Amino acid sequence: MSKPKVASDWMAGCAGCHMSLLDMDERIVKIVELVDLRSTPITDLKHPDETGVDVGILEGGINNTSNEEVAKMMRKRCKILVALGDCAVFGGVPAMRNFFTIEETLRRAYVETESTDAEGKIPDDPELARPTRVRAVHEVVPVDIFVPGCPPDADTIFYVLSELAQGRRPDLKDDKLHWH
Amino acid sequence: MINLTIDGQQIEVPEGTTVLNAARKAGIHIPTLCDHPHLKPYGGCRLCMVEIEGFRTLQASCTIPATNNMVVRTTSEQIHKARKFILTLIFSERNHFCPYCQVSGSDCELQNAAYGEGMTHWPLQPNWQPYPMDASHPYFILEHNRCILCRRCIRACSELVGANTLGVEERGAKTFVIADLNVPLGESSCVSCGMCVQVCPTGALIDRRSAYRGQNTTVDHHQTLCVGCSVGCGVDILTRDQQLIRIDGDWDAPINQGVTCKVGRFYPAFDDRERLKAPLLRKNGSLQPVSWEEALAAAAEKIKTAAGDGIAAIVSTRLPLESLVLFRQLFADRLGSEMVTSTEEGSRTAILSRWAEKLGKAFESKIDQIHEADAFFVMGADLINEHEVLGFFIRRRFPEGIKLILVDEDQNRLGDLAHCALIPQKKTGAALLKGLIAAVAKLGQNRVAFNGQPDEEVQKASEACGVASDLLLEAAFQLTNNEKSIIIYDPAVTDDEVMDLIIKLSQTSGAAMISIKGGANALGAAQLGLDKSLKLNGHRLAYIALGDEEPKERLIQQIEKCSNIIVQASYHSRLTAMADVVFPVVNWLEQDGHFINLDGRLQIAARVLKPAESIWTNEAVLSALADKLGTALESEWEKVISQRPSPVSIAA
Ligand code: SF4
Ligand code: SF4
Ligand code: SF4
Ligand code: SF4
Ligand code: FES
Repeated sequence: MSKPKVASDWMAGCAGCHMSLLDMDERIVKIVELVDLRSTPITDLKHPDETGVDVGILEGGINNTSNEEVAKMMRKRCKILVALGDCAVFGGVPAMRNFFTIEETLRRAYVETESTDAEGKIPDDPELARPTRVRAVHEVVPVDIFVPGCPPDADTIFYVLSELAQGRRPDLKDDKLHWH
Repeated sequence: MINLTIDGQQIEVPEGTTVLNAARKAGIHIPTLCDHPHLKPYGGCRLCMVEIEGFRTLQASCTIPATNNMVVRTTSEQIHKARKFILTLIFSERNHFCPYCQVSGSDCELQNAAYGEGMTHWPLQPNWQPYPMDASHPYFILEHNRCILCRRCIRACSELVGANTLGVEERGAKTFVIADLNVPLGESSCVSCGMCVQVCPTGALIDRRSAYRGQNTTVDHHQTLCVGCSVGCGVDILTRDQQLIRIDGDWDAPINQGVTCKVGRFYPAFDDRERLKAPLLRKNGSLQPVSWEEALAAAAEKIKTAAGDGIAAIVSTRLPLESLVLFRQLFADRLGSEMVTSTEEGSRTAILSRWAEKLGKAFESKIDQIHEADAFFVMGADLINEHEVLGFFIRRRFPEGIKLILVDEDQNRLGDLAHCALIPQKKTGAALLKGLIAAVAKLGQNRVAFNGQPDEEVQKASEACGVASDLLLEAAFQLTNNEKSIIIYDPAVTDDEVMDLIIKLSQTSGAAMISIKGGANALGAAQLGLDKSLKLNGHRLAYIALGDEEPKERLIQQIEKCSNIIVQASYHSRLTAMADVVFPVVNWLEQDGHFINLDGRLQIAARVLKPAESIWTNEAVLSALADKLGTALESEWEKVISQRPSPVSIAA
């Protein structure tokens, strides 16, 4: 039997969940033995295979039109979609900006910030992704497995990946289930 | 007794027990949110739902009483589905950002319930409607984004404290916890007891000092005493890495059953006084840090020169019996000083000790009586500003229809609640009491024969004290018409005549008596005879064992006259600044010892923090001084405390 193919990507998050993945140290070798690691944001291949992968992992919430595309592509190309970390599962830190309108957030970021000079301007190049309300992944595409945590710890990620690699559905509970 | 079956287990419980409590008794866990073991069942959150045979729908176990032959199931697919649905709705209502919430991890009952149901996410997302945060209170913050409207805070505020500050406004999704008529908490009628913070199941009520510094799983718990006043409340002190994190009321403490006031809960953690770290000795006019050896030698020298009547020695009533007894031994017994007293100078206790001697027996009751009484006669005691927990015990019982008769020359905030507020003219307390005794007789309720004309006496008293005679009669009626009544008084506002009349009123009306004593060990100090009023005339040396007490203005003014001042204290103060020798000593958290509270309960305060190496216990300083003076001290407080009759029986 060929090894299951795994791809990952990140969106509106801080990359911390991927760092936590790397934090599993030498166990990553075991994971690489068990799975065929395809595209990730920290390796050369950036997009999941057009022919599809078995497991897709998404870190971060969805906060603009580009994230929407990433999420939809991953969903389309994977059999099992994993939302990794609080931002992907709930919205997380970025979702705090949902308390304000997009106009307000952009003004704050590009015009009013203390370090911005009088020239401050909200970028409006049509090529740029359009910001949206921050959403959890499952608000945009169906998610199969939720792995909360800010970030989920390396043990949990190892457990989830090794279960998936062996064709089992991870069951998160006790010390593997935490939202912080 | 009722017999029921829960999850196949046969359980017997007293009638009136809820299904939830029956399950708890059998060790069966049912998740709850709005329920709290020390509050009345409310049935608001519906998380505690169970299946009961014969009922069409799930039932809230926290409100439904167990009945005979009831068959209950606490887990089933239907129940788990319902619980998940309830939690889903709660999470969708407000904004929970667990990663930066101070209770996330082990202290959030909402999060724990969600974990219990294996929830890895929220099926319904919040709508991100921002809710305000009320940070106007000095000790805690109300973060509405995390509030689940369980109303535990509101119920604690009224059921446990009787403050009735908290309530809700609006309905449905717009429901909001508010203070008074929606004013900021910091400007409300809140008395800062912190009970709401203690019972909140989520991170909605944030204690400013303890937040993010430790959780149940990372702290050590110590059950000990508050030494803020003579009530002697039991507290649960949370520490971590030798740091004070938070103080909660100890639910298991017999005196206060979980309730504390701000003095017990918040003052210690918010105490920003500067700690004394090394012995200080005055050299060329200024205080300099020196070694313990040098400070002790210098102090011993001064004491030798002033020995006998040249020394006035004053000890804090916040210190344990162990310290008090050594202090008395050293200064009164060994050095022969006549002026050995406490920082309170027996201002409340001296008269009580005198009357205990005169009557040859204890005449006051235990605090438990307060929970049974239905009429309260409060004389002079300002239970809003001190001994606050006693005030809570009265205020929280108003919904039961208790009656409060208040006697105070000044306005007292309890007055708003009183059924009769008797405000006598200055220094006419005795006349008022005479009038009440006569009024009891006029109503024919006197248990002791009354000599004289009740009518005339009531009239006479009314004229003398300026309180209308029907008010006197009304007060006498309330005092005697109820099954159990109690007189709570402040001995500081009595003299022998008033004391005599209070005792007579108690005898003729059948009311119990309780008085406030002041400091945590005021009664202990009284039993050791440390209750003289401080008079300095020609004393060459004042020795003050202040402990962690903040020196009162009156003490500072009196001591100023002394040419030599030695202080043992935990904190810098105006008194230590005046001193010639200062010994740094432990504070209450760093010492072990016994205290006698206002109703004679002998309690142990346990050490919860390790003092720094340069800081000694009060006993160690006194023993080292005795050693330098060529004598030795022995701790014998157990024998001494009962040598003198006490106003209330003393027992552990
Ligand atoms: S109150 Fe509980 S559920 Fe809400 S943010 Fe805090 S830890 Fe999370
Ligand atoms: S601190 Fe006490 S008085 Fe103030 S709102 Fe909370 S429970 Fe009520
Ligand atoms: S503040 Fe806390 S205790 Fe009060 S209703 Fe909200 S969640 Fe419940
Ligand atoms: S009533 Fe007295 S003993 Fe109780 S918490 Fe308040 S200060 Fe401490
Ligand atoms: S715990 Fe029973 S309804 Fe809330």
